[in-house]
Parts: sequence; structure tokens; C-alpha cells
Amino acid sequence: MLKIKKTDLQVLFDHCLAGYPNEACGMLGGKNGMVEKVYCMTNAKPGPDYYEMEAEEQFRVMKGIRDAGLEMIGLFHSHPHGQAYPSSVDVNQAYWPGTELPNYPDAVYVIATLMDLAHPVARGFSIEEGKVTEVPVVIVD
Amino acid sequence: MAIKVRIPTPLQKLTNGNAEVACSAKNVSELLDAIEKDYPGMKERLSEDGRVRRFINIYVNDEDIRFMEKEATVLKDGDTISIVPAIAGGGSKRKPRG
Repeated sequence: MLKIKKTDLQVLFDHCLAGYPNEACGMLGGKNGMVEKVYCMTNAKPGPDYYEMEAEEQFRVMKGIRDAGLEMIGLFHSHPHGQAYPSSVDVNQAYWPGTELPNYPDAVYVIATLMDLAHPVARGFSIEEGKVTEVPVVIVD
Repeated sequence: MAIKVRIPTPLQKLTNGNAEVACSAKNVSELLDAIEKDYPGMKERLSEDGRVRRFINIYVNDEDIRFMEKEATVLKDGDTISIVPAIAGGGSKRKPRG
């Protein structure tokens, strides 16, 4: 389970909507499954069906999360035109190249669909050993 | 004093569970060889035809080697190397851009 405040989820949605019609991305810092900070990040290769975190920013934010005493508990991106479910590209990219070893085994992959722009929906998943398993995203006040 | 290499979680099986290893090398290319000698299999995970794999980023003291001299980036004792897999994906079945 991944817990997130309604206000933080809105930050995530706002970032995804700002990136529309392209994909947007970011990280979720937190502890014990509770998101404490949403990091809105740059899609270095923006497209309606692709994202890649800007590498330097990724490194800096990962360090910032550790320095803040938090853990990278989630990674998020939008699917502007598709379902909130990992695509084959999402699954392939979750692994070390040429293996099925998850790059970030402790992170929940959160995908926000913008198919209904007025009502974005976010779902969470773990991607491990070739298996996609839903991790419920629970909104707390 | 040696060079400190931070090992990402998916590769720690190859380093006997160590999150950090030490080695000696004059540049990144040599580092790949040195780390392979101590931990077989690492070089293939990190590089292809002598070049660091796409979607794998290597930092020397917080600097991305792509903006330095890439595989020829000079290393010295006391440097800290971080190996960081890129975070990417996409909503379609289109292959990642090269």
C-alpha cells in the first residue's frame, strides 16, 4: 500500500497535466509507505508516449531524498492517452538492461492516466521478476 | 586510499551483497576491468563493447561522466563512483529512443 495526502496527489496530477500532451514524471519521497514529498521532475525526452528522467536531476533528487532522511518509495509518470497500467516499455525499463533484476525494487511505480483530463486517476504497481502487481494507492487527509 | 564504488541494488548479488566496493583504476575504462576482476559479471552488466550501457549513468563525485571524458574520465584515489540506472518508460509499445 502507498499512502498519499490528497494535496500531494494533486501536486502530482498538476505536474502531469502541465506536461500534457506529453508524459510527465517525478519521484515520491517518504517513509513506511507514506509519501511525504512529491518531486516534480523534467522529462528529458518528452513525448506523448515516452519519458526519461533528466539524469543529473534524477541523481540530485535521489540524493536530496536521502539527505532529507526519506526514502524513494515511489516513481510516477503519466499516461496522457493510455490506461493507468504499466506498458511493456515501462516493464522493460524497470529492469537492469538485459536482465529481470528490478532497478528500484523498493519503489512503487505510480501511473496517472489523463484520458479524462478533468478526472486523472493514479494507480500503483510493483514490477518485479516479470510480474506486475497492483499496489493500492490510498488517499489520506 | 582507493576508489569507492557504490553498487546499485540489482548488482549487489555480484558483489556478495556489498553496497560499496573499493578498487584502483586510472580511468572509468580501467575501473570496469578492475571491478570485473574482483566481481565477475560486472563489466557485462555495466558496459557493452567497452562503452557504458545506455540507461546506465555513472557519476564521479556527483559529476556525470557523459559531461566529462566518458569512459576516459580520469579517476584518482579518494573518488566516489555512483552507478545509477536511468528511470524511463512510456505508454506505448514503441521502443525507447536511443
